[in-house]
Amino acid sequence: MRARRVVAALSAVVALVGAACSSNVSSGAGSGPSSSSSATGAPGLGGSAIGFIFVGPKNDFGYNQAAYDGSQAVKAAYPNLKVLTAENVPEDDNATRVMNSMISQGAKIIFATSYGHLNPAEAVAAQHPDVVVVQQGNLIPTSTAIPKNMGTYFGTVYEPVYLAGIAAGKATKTNKLGYVYAFPISQSIDNIDAFELGAQSVNPAAKTSVVNTSAWCDPGKQTLAASSLLSQGVDVITQHQDCTSTIIKATEAAGKYSVGYHADASSLAPKGWLTGSEWNWGPLYTDIVKTVLAGSFTGSKYNANYRVGYKTGDNPFVQSKFGPSVSDDTKALIATAKTALGQPDGSPFKGPVMDQSGKVIPGFEAGKVPDYATIESLTTFVQGIVGQIPKS
Amino acid sequence: MSVISSALRPPKLRSAGREAGRLALAFAGALVVFGAFVIAKGANPLTVYSDMVRSTFLNSNSIAGVLVKACPLILGALAVAVPARAGLVNVGGEGQIVIGAVAAGGVALALDTHLPGGMVILLMMLAGAAAGALWAGIAGLLRLTLRVNEAISTLLLNYVAIDILLYLIYQPWKDMHGSGQPVTRQLAVAARLPLIGGTQVHFGIFIAIAATLVIWFLMERTSWGFRLRVVGGNSEAARRAGLPVSALLLSAMLVGGALAGLGGMVHYAGAELQLRAGMTANLGYIAFLASWLARHKPIRVAVAALLLASIAVAGDSLQINSALPAATVNVLMGLVLVAVMGGWGLRKKAVVA
Amino acid sequence: MSLALDVAAGAVGGGTSILYAALGETISERAGIINLGTEGCMLVGALTGYAVAAMSGNPWIGVVAGAGAGGALAALHAMLVIERKASQLASGLVMLFLGLGITSLFGGSFVSRTIHAFTPIALPGLSRIPGLGKILFNHDPLTYLSFLAAPAIWWLLFRSRWGLLIRGAGERGEVLAAYGYSPKLIQYLAVVAGGALAGVGGAQLSTAYANSWFEGMTAGRGFIAVALVIFAGWDPLKAVAGAYLFGAALALSPALQARGYALNQFALDALPYVITILVLVFLSRKRLHAAPEGLIRTLANAPVR
Repeated sequence: MRARRVVAALSAVVALVGAACSSNVSSGAGSGPSSSSSATGAPGLGGSAIGFIFVGPKNDFGYNQAAYDGSQAVKAAYPNLKVLTAENVPEDDNATRVMNSMISQGAKIIFATSYGHLNPAEAVAAQHPDVVVVQQGNLIPTSTAIPKNMGTYFGTVYEPVYLAGIAAGKATKTNKLGYVYAFPISQSIDNIDAFELGAQSVNPAAKTSVVNTSAWCDPGKQTLAASSLLSQGVDVITQHQDCTSTIIKATEAAGKYSVGYHADASSLAPKGWLTGSEWNWGPLYTDIVKTVLAGSFTGSKYNANYRVGYKTGDNPFVQSKFGPSVSDDTKALIATAKTALGQPDGSPFKGPVMDQSGKVIPGFEAGKVPDYATIESLTTFVQGIVGQIPKS
Repeated sequence: MSVISSALRPPKLRSAGREAGRLALAFAGALVVFGAFVIAKGANPLTVYSDMVRSTFLNSNSIAGVLVKACPLILGALAVAVPARAGLVNVGGEGQIVIGAVAAGGVALALDTHLPGGMVILLMMLAGAAAGALWAGIAGLLRLTLRVNEAISTLLLNYVAIDILLYLIYQPWKDMHGSGQPVTRQLAVAARLPLIGGTQVHFGIFIAIAATLVIWFLMERTSWGFRLRVVGGNSEAARRAGLPVSALLLSAMLVGGALAGLGGMVHYAGAELQLRAGMTANLGYIAFLASWLARHKPIRVAVAALLLASIAVAGDSLQINSALPAATVNVLMGLVLVAVMGGWGLRKKAVVA
Repeated sequence: MSLALDVAAGAVGGGTSILYAALGETISERAGIINLGTEGCMLVGALTGYAVAAMSGNPWIGVVAGAGAGGALAALHAMLVIERKASQLASGLVMLFLGLGITSLFGGSFVSRTIHAFTPIALPGLSRIPGLGKILFNHDPLTYLSFLAAPAIWWLLFRSRWGLLIRGAGERGEVLAAYGYSPKLIQYLAVVAGGALAGVGGAQLSTAYANSWFEGMTAGRGFIAVALVIFAGWDPLKAVAGAYLFGAALALSPALQARGYALNQFALDALPYVITILVLVFLSRKRLHAAPEGLIRTLANAPVR
């Protein structure tokens, strides 16, 4: 009896393994690397759906919600295509599986919207040459050739952050600004640096103190981070967190100024709201889909590490509206700076840029206008930032 | 009813059938209640269920996903089952999985580009199992020497293990050439567990199946397994009968820990390929429930782990097809477990009657 | 000095939600029932507290509702372990997953809501005391309430007739039964009270400390509370010290960073657990003595059948 049960259970498992293997082989005829379909048709054509995966909850009032809103804009623009969404997708093999599920449900275009989704996205793209996989925010290493059905895209986040830094530099009375971030990833380092550089450009005495929470959304830790900064006399707080309302509410309650991120949270800080940066993904997502459906993804600007900013005027990361305390003078300064960023030699990181010890950062020497890739590989805090990057 | 007599009682076909019926009933009950939740969210439960079944069990990718998820779950659940036979409660599967993955990761970071892949895999397996055994062994030793309760110490050690992982990936082991995310670099391709037939399913499933069979054999067919059950039934009687109770208890903990550590290694080298925060995502706790659900019988434990893995993967469909939040699947899993637990009381009454 | 003040004040502020949950779990474990699902109770308390505060406009109503939600989830746990004789540890973990799932299912629409949150109130006079004033007397009302709750629960457990019954249920239920009391009923009440306090802890987090609701926002604090109960030797007063110690471990890193120092948080995070294990090791006999006997029996007997 017992032996029979063992055999039964075992054969069930073997059958499952078999099913996983065999049916893949059969579906592989249509989608495998050896298939002919990828040779005849451009990647991303012929699907009935578009898939979006998010690393966090789609209603986080932050990064993931912005991406979700973008997916809904695609849905509105392409009513004939199903838009499949999955939230809280971890940055591991779960992401691979979820993307594969979407593909098996007819998706030929996948948006992997978290920084850490790059590796799973690469795996899925390699497995399905007929599917276009675009990844939001990370960079495919330039050492490897970019596959014909892949790309990354992002806005130059640090540009509106630089402008917000100007507002912060003008608003602060203590010359102490605060920045709460999650992890020392290059995106956060760029933002922190740009914020301080923006503040410095109008207020050389402004310093930015940084606190990391080691989590994209842990409201308890955010509260602690905000109160630690406030107790040091910081009077403007901004952040790079996925969920942003805790810190903004805490700052407002303390009667200090807030600079937002990801979403317009001015309603949470009616008095202290200065400005912020928020996403408007709809146009970019829709344009990517349009390019794919035209059969021209491969070789297009999206089949690359696509970055867009004020120079081309279609940055998906836009400046939030101003709060009541921002003076017309400050608004004018910001408008001027924004125009400057749009010029060929405009950049928040126009050289020289100094590190915390006062040395010029390589690649950011006097007169240099670093390109996006150089900026996105920054690993140091600039002069004027109080705090250290956790060392490797 | 004493544990010894129940363990030694020959299984009855009729009671097995009745049990399966009760299980099915409990499952149905859970689905009905879950249906109410689904309706509350404005979705049609029938559509939800049919989509779930279709996209989980009739789809090679999802079946592969179930098997990938099942690997660490099966090993982690066996890690609970073995000590449980000796009357020990190992709540530390989570920590033992983590520490096993950490040890495997350490081996990989040091050696994966220097040694042949097969050799690295072997060393990772040994390191993972040894680390898991060590982690559980700490709790075992504390129990035997200082009478510190192992349920409590294994639970506490989970956090220590997770903090060790976080410490390592934030500083010494962080990928220097990466993006700044707190992760280690990817495992070298040669040192990854081979994939089976071009699917996502990796060799770890065979390790898990082999472990299940070995543990089944050890538990049911060897004197060690028998003695463990005797100790688990009544350690005082076992002591008086001359059994080396301390050694048996420790061996159960060590074997359990080694299994969980191996689970961590398999999860790392087969699925995750890098150490990262949150890589275990409560696997150890789900494994604990799987073992408990199957009453610590090795083969059933593996089946229960497979079931819970299926539910987890079925959560994909809840999102993709029905646009329900991701964690909704936790409600389904919770309800199934509540129903089965509630059903247990019935079983006992039935036995008494 | 200001660093120490900041960390101490942060410890009290950040430790309060953990303290409530630990106080609740102390009552439950004193009655012989461990609830590993404390995290789940905190989560449903956090969401319910926030949601009801948003709908009613009054955070106090929110906290009461949060307590009710935490208590309700704990009642399910109690039913499974008391009536159905389910494994306490397994059932607790199920409550964790239920809490995670239910709050995710129903919490989404409250993320962007605002509430009239509890705000810190500087207690007149007391808040002027140098040092102590900042540490203890500049918090939200729920934190002040926890100052009272801890001694009250100590009194309940060790000086009142109810405490005798609760501890009796946890030590020797059959004796209680012989005197005509229902140990089952007392255990039910203790577990539900424990869950309700965990719910208050969650609601403190959402309606006072963080003033927001997010999925999974308790981030392991419920598990910390379970460890804390053991650390404190099932004593509500020592749980206060433990909660603030755990809170200080959380508060040190941001306080240092705001002053320009970096440190690896995780060595620090592990410390409370290591200390708890060491406490168990060095005081094992005493601790064992302190643990409710029913709990020892529970933990010692694996559910092998």
